[in-house]
Amino acid sequence: MTSTTAASLSIGTADGLLETEKNAGESENTYILRPVFQQRFRPSVVKDCIHAVLKEELANAEYSPEEMPQLTKRLSETVKDKLKEMGFDRYKMVVQVVIGEQRGEGVFMAARCFWDADTDNYIHDVFMNDSLFCVVAAFGCFYY
Amino acid sequence: MLPTGGVPFLHEGGALMGAAPKHVWGRSLLKGQCAAADLHQPIAPPRRRLRATMEEYHRHCDECIDGVLGGEDYNQNNINQWTASIVEQSLTHLVKLGKAYKYIVTCAVVQRSAYGFHTASSCFWDTTSDGTCTVRWENRTMNCIVNVFAIAIVL
Repeated sequence: MTSTTAASLSIGTADGLLETEKNAGESENTYILRPVFQQRFRPSVVKDCIHAVLKEELANAEYSPEEMPQLTKRLSETVKDKLKEMGFDRYKMVVQVVIGEQRGEGVFMAARCFWDADTDNYIHDVFMNDSLFCVVAAFGCFYY
Repeated sequence: MLPTGGVPFLHEGGALMGAAPKHVWGRSLLKGQCAAADLHQPIAPPRRRLRATMEEYHRHCDECIDGVLGGEDYNQNNINQWTASIVEQSLTHLVKLGKAYKYIVTCAVVQRSAYGFHTASSCFWDTTSDGTCTVRWENRTMNCIVNVFAIAIVL
């Protein structure tokens, strides 16, 4: 039975907000080199979460050039916050959202990663309606 | 608050055993998807080094994309190979720099049209040691956006 009261660090987004929280007075070294299974970045679980977010936010969305920049940013922040809540304590996460107007133009996206394939993983999800398409890719890297 | 002295992370509660043998780390990283360069003595990279790495990569990336897509028109049959080769060349170049980072490289190629295309990313990481670089390239028929995310491995 391992007692894993790790210090939980929350590091802010790329705009430079920083908060550090610790479980009050209880932090011990856990000496854990690999993620516990429950806390692994599991694609299936994450995909469900992202799918729910997309359905909720984009169900009735129409493409409009003025709103799209804010929508894209807001979506990426929302997905990132949802992933934080899911309890991937030791993971650093990157969420990328791409939204485009649905007019039949060709798009192709590719990604390659140089990481530890044991601990790190990614998922992607696509949402389409009549006026727009949206691709979300979430990458999780274990923080040793 | 982060401690001073340029060390980006507190190690309390972290996974660092004093005697963690280097070869364990090396072996697990090599399972990644790219042939690793020899990573001798990787150290926690400070922010300015990350910026220099990213700038150098930025220059290289422009040339790399020119080499693959320059003078070509958007072609659905080839687009697969083109994006794959851009991404692989970028990643190989980054790994050859020999810094202690995990890299994520994404590339999106869009047909040039009057239609809108937006991309945004949000990251949950250590802002002092991790960073990103975006390269945009275009020609007559295509727009290409390459994003690189570099996540530090602190030892």
